[in-house]
Amino acid sequence: MKRMENPTTLATYRYYWQFGFAMAAYVIMLFGSIAAIKHYDLTGGIEAAVALIPVIPLVLVFAAIVRFFATTDELERQINIECLAIAAGLTALLAITYYFLEGIGLPRVSALWTFLAVMLIWGVAKCFVARKYR
Amino acid sequence: MKNRLRVLRAENDWSQAELADRAGIARQTVVSLEAGKYAPSLPLAFKLSNLFGKSVEEIFDAESADVVGKEHE
Repeated sequence: MKRMENPTTLATYRYYWQFGFAMAAYVIMLFGSIAAIKHYDLTGGIEAAVALIPVIPLVLVFAAIVRFFATTDELERQINIECLAIAAGLTALLAITYYFLEGIGLPRVSALWTFLAVMLIWGVAKCFVARKYR
Repeated sequence: MKNRLRVLRAENDWSQAELADRAGIARQTVVSLEAGKYAPSLPLAFKLSNLFGKSVEEIFDAESADVVGKEHE
């Protein structure tokens, strides 16, 4: 039996392909969007629309992740869900902690950091959670 | 959860990768199942029982399962 027939293997390859395609599209659209805003005198709604163009491939990234979760192996899914829960919980804790620190004068930070924190903690948590099942 | 997967796999002369392909799961899941580190879902347990032609009880030892509420028995 060929390895490619395994639905889990297929789901993984499909995810890598879709994720790679979406990220490549993101990079192209990001630079295109930045260049358009720099070189053309865009204002108002058109400027906002052009600035938001890179979000389109990110929706594809999200769709690829959701599809991967739905089709992958059950243990892989369980590990990822555990890690996602840890990442969401720790990020919430970090966010509220920093919110209190902002109250005593620390600078306000971009909301983008919450996304980066979730991704970073998810990745680190996966190393430890996956070990539990080995 | 203790189980006889390793023995049954050896009897069929299947590698871990081959069992993974037949069951439609990752090889790592086979490793975790055989090590007793992961208890499969009911559909996967039935799929494995079909693959080996055994009942679920003949493959998995329910007594060794970490059942919630066991301490209240």
